[in-house]
Amino acid sequence: MHHAFLFLLLPSYLSSRNRARRRQRGDLLRATMFGGIGLLVCGALFGGSFWLTWQLGRYAELGDYLLRLGLSWLFLVFLSFLAFSGLVSALSTFFLSEDLRLLVVAPIASRRLFYARFIRTVGQASWMIVVFFVPLLMGVGLAHCARPAFYLTAVLTLVPFVVIPVAIGSAATLLLVNVFPARRARDILMLTGLLFAASLVMLLRFIRPEQLLQVESLPDITDFFATLQSPVTPLLPSFWAGETLFASLQGGRDLLHAGALWTTALTLTLVLRAASERWYFTGYSRSQEAPKARFTRLRGLDRFVRALPISSIRRQLLIKDLKVFLRDVSQWSQLLLLLALVLVYLYNFRVLDLERIPYMSGVVKNVFAFLNLGMAGFVMATIAVRFVFPAVSAEGAAFWIIRTAPISLRDFLWSKFWTTIVPVLIFTEGLTVAANEFLGIDPFVKVVSAAAVVFMGLALVGLATGLGARYPRFNAENASQVAGSYGGVAFMILAVLYIVVMIALVGWPSSVYLWTRVRSVPLSLAQQWMIAACFSAAAIMSLATWWLSMRAGVRALQDLDRG
Amino acid sequence: MISLQNLVKKFGSFAAVDGVSLDVTPGEIHGFLGPNGAGKTTTMRMIAGLLKPDSGRILVNGHDLATAPEAAKASLGFIPDRPFIYEKLTAGEFLRFHAGLYGLDGDVSDRVREMLEVFELGRWEDELVESFSHGMKQRLVMSAAFLHKPQAIVVDEPMVGLDPRGARLIKQIFRRMSERGVAILMSTHTLEVAQEMSDRISIIVKGRIIARGTVDELRRMAGSQDDRLTPVFLKLTGGGGLQEIDEV
Repeated sequence: MHHAFLFLLLPSYLSSRNRARRRQRGDLLRATMFGGIGLLVCGALFGGSFWLTWQLGRYAELGDYLLRLGLSWLFLVFLSFLAFSGLVSALSTFFLSEDLRLLVVAPIASRRLFYARFIRTVGQASWMIVVFFVPLLMGVGLAHCARPAFYLTAVLTLVPFVVIPVAIGSAATLLLVNVFPARRARDILMLTGLLFAASLVMLLRFIRPEQLLQVESLPDITDFFATLQSPVTPLLPSFWAGETLFASLQGGRDLLHAGALWTTALTLTLVLRAASERWYFTGYSRSQEAPKARFTRLRGLDRFVRALPISSIRRQLLIKDLKVFLRDVSQWSQLLLLLALVLVYLYNFRVLDLERIPYMSGVVKNVFAFLNLGMAGFVMATIAVRFVFPAVSAEGAAFWIIRTAPISLRDFLWSKFWTTIVPVLIFTEGLTVAANEFLGIDPFVKVVSAAAVVFMGLALVGLATGLGARYPRFNAENASQVAGSYGGVAFMILAVLYIVVMIALVGWPSSVYLWTRVRSVPLSLAQQWMIAACFSAAAIMSLATWWLSMRAGVRALQDLDRG
Repeated sequence: MISLQNLVKKFGSFAAVDGVSLDVTPGEIHGFLGPNGAGKTTTMRMIAGLLKPDSGRILVNGHDLATAPEAAKASLGFIPDRPFIYEKLTAGEFLRFHAGLYGLDGDVSDRVREMLEVFELGRWEDELVESFSHGMKQRLVMSAAFLHKPQAIVVDEPMVGLDPRGARLIKQIFRRMSERGVAILMSTHTLEVAQEMSDRISIIVKGRIIARGTVDELRRMAGSQDDRLTPVFLKLTGGGGLQEIDEV
C-alpha cells in the first residue's frame, strides 16, 4: 500500500519483459523487417538533418537564422501532434484500459494512480517523437560541431517539451470524458484525429515544399519561415525549446526559455493532478456507462445488397460484413487518411512538369506509367494488409456462429474475397487510369496498366484473404494488431516480391514494344513471342497466386476443426 | 435424434473424450454432467462441428456430421456457454443474418419478431448488441438457436449469467420445445436444474461416461437415499466434484 507510484508501472514492465522473453513464430522476421525500416528512417533523418545543417552553415548569419527558425518550426509541428496524441493516449490509459478495474478498486491514493497513468500516457504519446528527434538533433549537432553540452541540453529540453502538450491533451480528455461517455468520446477522437492527419498531409503537399529546394527561391524560404512567426509564437513551448537548443548549439545557455519549459511542465502536471483528483472518478464512472448506442440503420445498404444477383447466404454475409465495418468508426475512418494520400499522389502527377525535358518526356512518361503501376500495387498491398488480411480474424470470438452454421467454409472465405475485391479494384483501377491520364502516356501502356491492375487485384486480395485465413488472430483487439502479426508481415513480403516480378514481366516487353514504335521498326517474331510469353507468365502467376492462396486458406479454416 | 458412437478426441497424449457413446431421442432433455475438465464441453463442441473427433461418429437427425456436415448442422441449434456475437449488429439484424445462414429464405421478419418476443427481447430488436447485458446476449443466442426450428439442441451451461426470471423463462422454453419433439442435450453444473429438467442424465468423468439413467436410476446406482442429486453426483464421481462445488 505504501509502494511508490512506480510500483503501478510494474505490470507494464513485466508484460513487456515476458513478451520479449517468450519467442513467438515470426518474431525474428518481424523484428528484422520493422527494425530494418526503422534504421533506414533514422539513417535518412540523420543524413538529411546533417546535410541541411551543413548547407545552411555556408550562409553564415542567414544560415543560423534559418536553422533557428527551422528548429522552432519543427517543435511547433510536433507540439500539436503531441497534444493530440496525449488526448488519445490519455483516453486509453486513464479511462479504457482493462487493468483499471483492478487498480480503481484497490486502496491506492488517487495521486499515485494519477502519476503512474500520466507517465504511461507521456511515454505512449511521445515515444515516436523522441525516436524521431534523436537522429535529427544528432545530425544537427554533429554538422554544427556542437559541444557535448548540446546533447545534454537536448535531453533536458525534450522532457518538459513532451510533458506540456501531453498534459494539455490529458486535461482535454478529462473534460471530454466528463461530458461524453468514453465510447463516444473515443469515436469522436478517432475521427477528428484522422481528419487532422489527412488535412496535415494535404496541407504539407499543397504548399509545394519542393519549390523551396530551388536555389532561385532562397528569398522565398525566408518569407516562408517568416510567415510562421507571429506575436503568439514566443509564448509557445515550441519557441522556448527551439531557443534553448539553438543557444546551446552556439555554445551558450538560454536559462530563461529552459526555465519557462520546466516551470510550465511542472505547473501543468500539478494542475492536472489537482483536476484529476477532483474529476477523475466522475469521468471514470461515466466511462463505465453503456448508453443506448447511436448508429445508422443503413437500410439503403440492405436494399442494394438484396438487388445483387448472389445467393442468400452470400447476401447475408455481405450485409453483415458491410454493416459491421461501416458502424465501426475505427475501421472506416482509416480510409480518410488513405484518401488524402491518394489525392496527394494524384496531385503529384498533375503538377509533374515533364515537358521541361522535351526530348525525354515520351520515354520518361512511360517509365512513370510503370512506376505508377508499382505504386498502385503497393497501395493495393497496403489496403489488403489493413482491410482484407484481417477479414477472417474480424469474426473474432463470434466465429463459432459461422462454424456451427450449415454453410461451407469455402463459401465463407470466397464471400470475404468477393466482398473486398470489388472496392479494391474500383479504387486502384481508378487511381491508375487517372494518373495515366494526367501523364498522357501511350494508349498501349494505358491498356497494359489497366489489365495488369485487374490481375494484381485478384492475386493480392486472394493472397491476403488466404493468408488471413491461414494465420488468423481471433483474439486480437483491433485490425491493426492483426495486420502487424506474423501472417501480416509474411503477406507484405510476398506481396512486394509479387509486385516486383509483375512489374518486370509487364514493363520489360512493353518497353521493347515502345522502342520499336519510337524507331518505327516492326516487331520481330522473336520479340512478339517474348511479349506474349511475358504477358502470359504475368497472368498465370497472378491467377496461380490467387487460386492457390484461396485454396490454402479454405484448407486452413477446415483444419481449425481439428482443434 | 443425436447419436454419438464411440467418440474419441485427444489433445496430444491426453484423451479429453475417450469412447463416448450417447443417444438423445426426440423430445428428450438429456442432462450432461461431470466435473471440470471431464470432457463435456469438448463433446459438445464436436457435436456442434467446432472440433473434429479423432474417431467415432456423430449423427444428427440421421445425418453424419463427418460426411454431411451441412445437413447435420441445419438440424441442430447450438448454444455455447459464452455468448459471443457481432457487437455492431442489432438484435433483429443478427437474427436475420442467422436465418440466412440456415437457409431460411423469404421474409423472416415475423419469425424473428416471434423469437424475440418469446425470449423477451422484443423491444430491443433495433438496438446494437454491444449495449446488451450478458443475460440479454445469452437470450439472443438462444433465440437464434431456435429460430430455424431445429430438431436437436446442444446447450452448454444455459443458466450462466441469467437472472431468476430469465432462468425460469429458459426452463419453460426448453420444456415446451421438448414437448414439440426437439431433442435437447444440456450440460450444466447446476445440479438442481439438471434434476428438475432432465429426462435422463449422463455423467462423464475423465472423458468416459460412467453412469447414465433417470435421476432415480442414478440414485440406485450410487446407493443413495438422498432426494437431491448433489450427493449422488459426488458419490458417482468419486468425490472429485466436491471441491468444485465447495468453491462454487
